[in-house]
Amino acid sequence: MGTENRGRPQFPARPAATPFAAAPPQNMMPFSSSGPVVGSEASGFRPTPPAAPHPTVPSSTPVVGSQASGFRSPPLARFNDPSVPPPASNIPPPVGPYQHFSASAFPSTAQAPLSRAPPLGQPLGQPPAPPASLRPQSQIPSVPMGSPPQSINFASPNVNVPYSSSDSTFPAARPNFQSSFPGYARMQSNADSQAPPLQYPFPPHQGGYAPAPPASSSPFLTHQGGYAPAPPVSSSPFLAHQGGYVPPTPVAAPAGLQSRDQMQHLGSGPPIGSIQGLLEDFSSLSIGSVPGSIDPGIDPKALPRPLDGDVEPKLFAEMYPMNCDPKYLRLTTSAIPNSQSLASRWHLPLGAVVCPLAEAPDGEEVPVVNFVSTGIIRCRRCRTYVNPFVTFTDAGRKWRCNICSLLNDVPGEYFAQLDATGRRIDLDQRPELTKGSVEFVAPTEYMMRPPMPPVYFFLIDVSTSAVRSGMIQVMAQTIRSCLDELPGYPRTQVGFITFDSAIHFYNLKSSLTQPQMMVVSDLDDIFLPLPDDLLVNLSESRSVVETFLDSLPSLFHDNVNVESAFGPALKAAFMVLSQLGGKLLIFQNTLPSLGVGRLKLRGDDLRVYGTDKEQTLRLPEDPFYKQMAAELTKYQIAVNVYAFSDKYTDIASLGTLAKYTGGQVYYYPSFQSAIHGEKLRHELTRDLTRETAWEAVMRIRCGKGVRFTSYHGNFMLRSTDLMALPAVDCDKAYAMQLSLEETLLTTQTVYFQVALLYTASCGERRIRVHTAAAPVVADLGEMYRQADAGAIVSLFSRLAIEKTLSHKLEDARNSVQLRIVKALKDYRNLYAVQHRLGGRMIYPESLKFLPLYGLAICRSTPLRGGYADASLDERCSAGYTIMTLPVKKLLKLLYPSLIRLDEYLLKASTQVDDFQNLDKRLPLAAENLDPRGLYLYDDGLRFVIWFGRALSPDVAMNLLGADFAAELSKVTLYEHDNEMSRKLIRILQKFRERDPSYYPLCHLVRQGEQPREGFLFLSNLVEDQIGGTNGYADWILQIHRQVQQNA
Amino acid sequence: MGDLYAWLVSFFFLIALLVVVVYQLMCLADLEFDYINPYDSSSRINRVILPEFIAQGVLCIFYLVTGHWVMSLLSIPYLYYNVRLYLRNQHLVDVTEIFNLLNWEKKQRLFKLFYLVCLLFLSIFWMILTALDDHE
Repeated sequence: MGTENRGRPQFPARPAATPFAAAPPQNMMPFSSSGPVVGSEASGFRPTPPAAPHPTVPSSTPVVGSQASGFRSPPLARFNDPSVPPPASNIPPPVGPYQHFSASAFPSTAQAPLSRAPPLGQPLGQPPAPPASLRPQSQIPSVPMGSPPQSINFASPNVNVPYSSSDSTFPAARPNFQSSFPGYARMQSNADSQAPPLQYPFPPHQGGYAPAPPASSSPFLTHQGGYAPAPPVSSSPFLAHQGGYVPPTPVAAPAGLQSRDQMQHLGSGPPIGSIQGLLEDFSSLSIGSVPGSIDPGIDPKALPRPLDGDVEPKLFAEMYPMNCDPKYLRLTTSAIPNSQSLASRWHLPLGAVVCPLAEAPDGEEVPVVNFVSTGIIRCRRCRTYVNPFVTFTDAGRKWRCNICSLLNDVPGEYFAQLDATGRRIDLDQRPELTKGSVEFVAPTEYMMRPPMPPVYFFLIDVSTSAVRSGMIQVMAQTIRSCLDELPGYPRTQVGFITFDSAIHFYNLKSSLTQPQMMVVSDLDDIFLPLPDDLLVNLSESRSVVETFLDSLPSLFHDNVNVESAFGPALKAAFMVLSQLGGKLLIFQNTLPSLGVGRLKLRGDDLRVYGTDKEQTLRLPEDPFYKQMAAELTKYQIAVNVYAFSDKYTDIASLGTLAKYTGGQVYYYPSFQSAIHGEKLRHELTRDLTRETAWEAVMRIRCGKGVRFTSYHGNFMLRSTDLMALPAVDCDKAYAMQLSLEETLLTTQTVYFQVALLYTASCGERRIRVHTAAAPVVADLGEMYRQADAGAIVSLFSRLAIEKTLSHKLEDARNSVQLRIVKALKDYRNLYAVQHRLGGRMIYPESLKFLPLYGLAICRSTPLRGGYADASLDERCSAGYTIMTLPVKKLLKLLYPSLIRLDEYLLKASTQVDDFQNLDKRLPLAAENLDPRGLYLYDDGLRFVIWFGRALSPDVAMNLLGADFAAELSKVTLYEHDNEMSRKLIRILQKFRERDPSYYPLCHLVRQGEQPREGFLFLSNLVEDQIGGTNGYADWILQIHRQVQQNA
Repeated sequence: MGDLYAWLVSFFFLIALLVVVVYQLMCLADLEFDYINPYDSSSRINRVILPEFIAQGVLCIFYLVTGHWVMSLLSIPYLYYNVRLYLRNQHLVDVTEIFNLLNWEKKQRLFKLFYLVCLLFLSIFWMILTALDDHE
């Protein structure tokens, strides 16, 4: 309902704008013709006087580094781009040594401490010793004029890219940045490198890596040309566990992280710089190529495994410190290709995964901005919200939109002077100009109607199976216990409908002492027996609602009705809710059998699999469900489906309701309150109490020449690029793919802005805006270096699941494999010319886990095997779940953690928080299972505890009590009165707390207990060969062979 | 003389079909440019789909009955395609997926449009021919 784009031309024409490059900083560079500009703000900083020339870097560098490591300035300081850029060339001397520091030691101060430098190109090193009082603002460079002819752009913000020395404990993980200095290659040739390898600037204690800096990669060179050399080689891409890796040699890669102002288009293709600058930036895997032999020649231990979980790409965040957190927005590659031909060589998905309401990192809550007087500042033409990347010009009277580069007027009330560097003087009071994520309070123009209150409506199946499974009992208790915590008190509204073969309405009017039940059994012509009071304000009718929930289980205690008039009941709920919208929670126990939308048993037929009819099983059977879903979204109703049946319930059809309304499917096969009750209780509580955004619409804008073309997730598109989301919460993520509209991008940075317009539970209309920038590159290798495997995997799995709706499972799996092969093939072609690759398999460091995740996608519940490997309902519900999962949770689900517990449990120490050992994840292969051990498998949705055959009976007895010898399928885990059991329960609790979005239920399984073991556990060991599927080593080999074919 | 009337009738049928297909294309274009919402767009299109199918079927039979079997043969592929869509229950536009299918729906209707224009030219040609014949 809310038009997020009021007043905007209905389709975003983006006329040719003034070339962007001209826009930002230069215009406002206030450099006075002489003298440093440092003064005004760099109060704390005393510029060090020029010292004698240091042809080599002073040996005091480590000292500085260590001093600096303690220093960190807030991120806002770092990106002070406008002030920094080109004149850097004026100050050649300090550059060499200093720049190095800024690069490696304290990113925040990179630009700061430049004193007036002699204009001669004379090396003059002055390691700065930043006083502790150095304020963020102090990094305005002093910019004396009279520049040497050669313009060099080293001082642009990208010097910040490398991590600070305090970070250097994980240098090995980030091999990518060394390639990223604009102009690096050029510089190499121009500059006479006076200072070859020097003392390695990092004291060894800092690194957790084996520092093997190739001789050529001198940490810093002093160049006359004034260039900051490659950062320390801490980035050598091999990790300790990757035994099979060939140690990379340095390669000078093309400029990648160009600053937005100063990017240079270096030639595409990996330029071979001067030889000593050669840094190899791919990882490789030796494969003894004896095709078809039993021993594949791969050392399985050497294969890369994501045992540390998901690592967000830090590099990107450091490049553009004002970007929003990767929790909110992750690009599949943070280097956007500059031409369609380049994009077509990138065979992986090009796009983004957005989780607009992700839980904020601690202490970094999204600031709420209220533009009371000025109205929300947006670009006139493209409707972009004001963000940190806009630039102010004309003494602060105009601002230039970073997306369409239109010059907009600054409203009078929003006006602020610019300081000498072109920044607004009120910058520190304006979170919208410093933070990548902000929330605007939306004025009335953003409302089509008064903001709706939070509405929870429950549609409950009370047929006999629901009663027998105990679902009603658990559900009623849970809802009752959540009544206090429902968001939006005192405006929250609730209502209930129950149904079996008839529909029961409940009058919950506050004046009543007891709810009145009204039964409608005419299913063909649904009407509401009451005009209102079916949906009531919770705070007013609290006691009636409580009475109702208390009496609900007993009310249908002896119901023997087996029918389910689901369709008509859904229509009735829709009629009640259509006034306000809200959240509709459906509790479904039996296959809908009466009225519209009745479904029939399907999916039992083994023969359908492998034929063209297979995919229709995964589509809604009756068009009623799609129509209904479309209507529900139109009226801002989100549907969450809870399905409980022990028989086929056609999740494919029911889930459609959730899919198009931004909802979610919870599936509890064969629900038994004794076993699954706790899971339902937690997940329903989470669903009811988590912060929810109502009647939302989301749009993602991006710069000229780029366009989002397809969207994947649970929502409905209201126009080509506007997602309608009746309810959003922190557990939902959306993926989208983009394509290039123009053959050649002329801009050097592409900006993305996600805007979610929603009604908060408190009744305020708000706009959450996330902005991010990404550089445009001309080189495929750079795209690979900047790739984000997590986002790629997330898009891959969504695409594969969508493919299962129109193709066979087999085809969906093959398409995943094919795209990985194509990507690796193109990557190989990049390097095959210069390097003798032989039989080695090469892949970018950033994508080292991609093949494994690809395998995991093919082995995941929605895609695995054939008819017998997973029931149709399980497949569909897992598919719907994966379509909503944020990146981190998805990766956990695809490659679950496997942890050995028995050693920890047996340890005498009573230290509870000694969890470090527990974080040692094992590769998911059966060979890692010791029959004497006890293992915990955790995929985020459930736990499996695996009891080895030779596990000491003591442990089993302690953990299971008297049941230890019984069949484990009937045993539930609960706390026994001994230390070991308490420890285990604490561990499980700890793991559950890490991710509250789902409640992993604990399954116990004993080694050799068939078929449960295979079904629950062994089939999820991704790396093993099971049935007709490949193991990890075979999979790698297969991919490798396909890559080599006509490579 | 009767032949001329037969051609006239078929001419009007074809014009009607063209109008319907163009109307659907317009709805899709409006949707693409965000002038109308997917609900209106799809309900407008779906309203005219069955009339289009029926009219086309009638036209095909009409050609056959009046003995213009070449024209009937020419319009059979179109009819077959429509019947196949109908039997697979894919003839209506799906409002939930309309944006993902937009290109396909447009392409399909553009083909139909060209096809109908060809038929129209043929029938005009025959009409003129018969009219001239009648004169002589």
